[in-house]
Amino acid sequence: MQAHLSDIRDTHWDAIVIGTGVGGGVAGRALAKAGMKVLFLEKGRAGFRAEETAIDLGMGDPVARAIRGFWPDPISVDLDGRRQQLLAPLGAGLGGSSVFYAATLERPEPHDLDNLPDRPHPTGGWPVGFEAMQPWFDAAQTMFHIHGDPDPLSDIPSPCVAPAHPAAPGDAMIMDRLRGNGLHPYRLHTAVKRLAGCGDCLGHKCPRACKMDGRSAGVEPALATGNATLLTDCEVTRLVRNADGSVRVETSQDGAALTLSARHVVLAAGALSSPRLLLASASARDPQGIGNGADLVGRNLMFHLNEIFALWPGKAAGFAGPSKSVGFRDLYFAEGQRLGMVQAMGIDVGYGEIVHHLRGRVARSWLRRMPGAMDLTRIPAAIGAKLMGTAKVFVGLLEDLPYAENRVVLDADNPGLISLEYRVSEELLARRKLFRRLIRKSFKGTRTAFLTQEPEPNFGHPCGTLRMGVDVGKSVVNADCRVHDVPNLWVADASVFPTSMGVNPSLTIAANALRVADRIKDSR
Amino acid sequence: MTDLTQGIAIVTGAGGGLGRALAVDLSQSMTVVGLGRDLAALDDTRRLARDGMFHGIEADVSDINSVSHAFDKAKAHGKITLLVNNAAQYPRRDFTEETADSFMKVVATNLGGTIACTRAALDDMLETGFGRILNVATFADIAPLPASSAYSVSKGAARIFTRALIADIGDRFPGIVVNDWMPGMLATRMGIPDGLAPEQAAKWGAQLALWHDPSLTGTTWEMDREIPPPRSLKRRIADRVLMKPRVASRRLP
Repeated sequence: MQAHLSDIRDTHWDAIVIGTGVGGGVAGRALAKAGMKVLFLEKGRAGFRAEETAIDLGMGDPVARAIRGFWPDPISVDLDGRRQQLLAPLGAGLGGSSVFYAATLERPEPHDLDNLPDRPHPTGGWPVGFEAMQPWFDAAQTMFHIHGDPDPLSDIPSPCVAPAHPAAPGDAMIMDRLRGNGLHPYRLHTAVKRLAGCGDCLGHKCPRACKMDGRSAGVEPALATGNATLLTDCEVTRLVRNADGSVRVETSQDGAALTLSARHVVLAAGALSSPRLLLASASARDPQGIGNGADLVGRNLMFHLNEIFALWPGKAAGFAGPSKSVGFRDLYFAEGQRLGMVQAMGIDVGYGEIVHHLRGRVARSWLRRMPGAMDLTRIPAAIGAKLMGTAKVFVGLLEDLPYAENRVVLDADNPGLISLEYRVSEELLARRKLFRRLIRKSFKGTRTAFLTQEPEPNFGHPCGTLRMGVDVGKSVVNADCRVHDVPNLWVADASVFPTSMGVNPSLTIAANALRVADRIKDSR
Repeated sequence: MTDLTQGIAIVTGAGGGLGRALAVDLSQSMTVVGLGRDLAALDDTRRLARDGMFHGIEADVSDINSVSHAFDKAKAHGKITLLVNNAAQYPRRDFTEETADSFMKVVATNLGGTIACTRAALDDMLETGFGRILNVATFADIAPLPASSAYSVSKGAARIFTRALIADIGDRFPGIVVNDWMPGMLATRMGIPDGLAPEQAAKWGAQLALWHDPSLTGTTWEMDREIPPPRSLKRRIADRVLMKPRVASRRLP
């Protein structure tokens, strides 16, 4: 439903939503459903609905990336003092990164949000506690058609999670194996409807409204209400203050400037781009950028560290097929430390993957200069595959904690560039060591191998860069996720998270976006 | 959509030779729209085809407008799920006797026709994410024969086009299966007198066209068998030493 540009310009919208990922899609859907006139702005393209494109970190060409809905350009990361350009698993198209995700929408634990006596919260707790969030988690689980098992270690009910879909043979086998190790596995909470002929589109675009993401559970139902309009290929360049302190939106559509105004502006460009936009909106009135009076915009950037490991459950198990949707929370909080949950990645490592992994390690080592070294990795991989059969791959999501010096910065010469400064803290390294030790211990008697050597921030899970808080001097947005000194500017993505939690961010993004939409409705 | 035969097939150059044989064979399984320059010849194809399953449309694939009109008409019969780019011409002319114009007319049919028809057929296929494109190809580009420059160049470029198309859509639309098929030396107007009967080649071609397996994308087939991509001697030795698993080439049943 692409409307004419002149109509879009001349409409005074109830809400303009910047970004169409999970946060923007869900917030816009809730607002449109409430009868508000909503305009979605998306930097990338709509694409073809039938596409099944997988995120491809090897594809470097920006034109090819843009047409596939990948973030077109490399991001610039100063990682531990070393500046590097890398291709991040980020989307830029209808649905944002979520069209590529594995649709794992896990609810956090109470201690992720609350300051508990035995589990003190590093920020003193989110301004909205677990109990206040619970109805929004439920609503988001319903909206995303979540299926899965209740976590056997939790006594908090999940009334809105439908029973897990029938398990793949690999899942049942690996769960037995994990139980044998004394762990408490359950079927992950997955936002896939499993329509007839479901292709289990984890890691690639789903050609139907079967996998629930920012597009299928957000923008598309919003458009179906008749109250919403979508403008793609439209990059927001600045927010500009009106006389009353509210903001309007400056965009670039095919290189042409276009200014749009609305009663409410909902920022949901993702935790790497939402702060960048506020920094780029500096003016005489806001010399450090909008919302940046306390010099906090872009700061407290967090990722998860991905601890990827392979597990060889024995030769017979290799035939059962990959386990796709199994996880456990036994190590979520251990030895007094915030760690995170462990999930199956839905891949078996056979010959090819081991080759790929070894090549990656060779590529990062001094061997990369030795001609033929890449090919030589085939020999140990072939032997390994013959000896050990296939391995199941798991990932442990290790919670990252907020540090002011980890941040998104604005590159003044290239304001469209995502540029970061991130340092792996000593404290994080220590928790990482513990996490890995506990993972190894959990699988005593089973052969495991970590596939991650260096700490690997998951650049697909950024959060924290527009912190939510009560104290104006210590946060960017208030408990309702409205920017402190801007009456009409709201944030509905992971930027507002005070901490990164031990689970995938999507469910919390969706739940919080529903809550923010509710506050916006109340404020009119 | 998950079944090619629920839609329609477009076969270019369906008024004779291999194209006619392919259209007749495919009409046993699905509705076929045949494109050709000669309506009477298309009508002969219709008589050979299964009753009511073949529709001829007069079109010159070297003319983009003509292709566009033909596809508009074809769509009245259903959604396009299969395209066989078969139409080609092979004038035997030494390059000293070509004009730039006569040369480029051949390119317009052999390369331009493939591009125009593929682009038109993709409209339906991109929408559903489902389809099959079979390009009738030759090895003429590898060692061009004398008096074959326009043919070798245009058919060679068409093979490059197959690969370029796959580079653009292969990863995004795994359900649109695209590959090249070399029918072999045929006893047709374009072929050699003691070549293979087009009806025999068409059996393989139709079978391959109706085979919707994403793993076919990018493969090259000659008659009834898959031709593995060429490897240099050095590469072959290296693969052997490095224990790279060997992939068996497939054959039509």
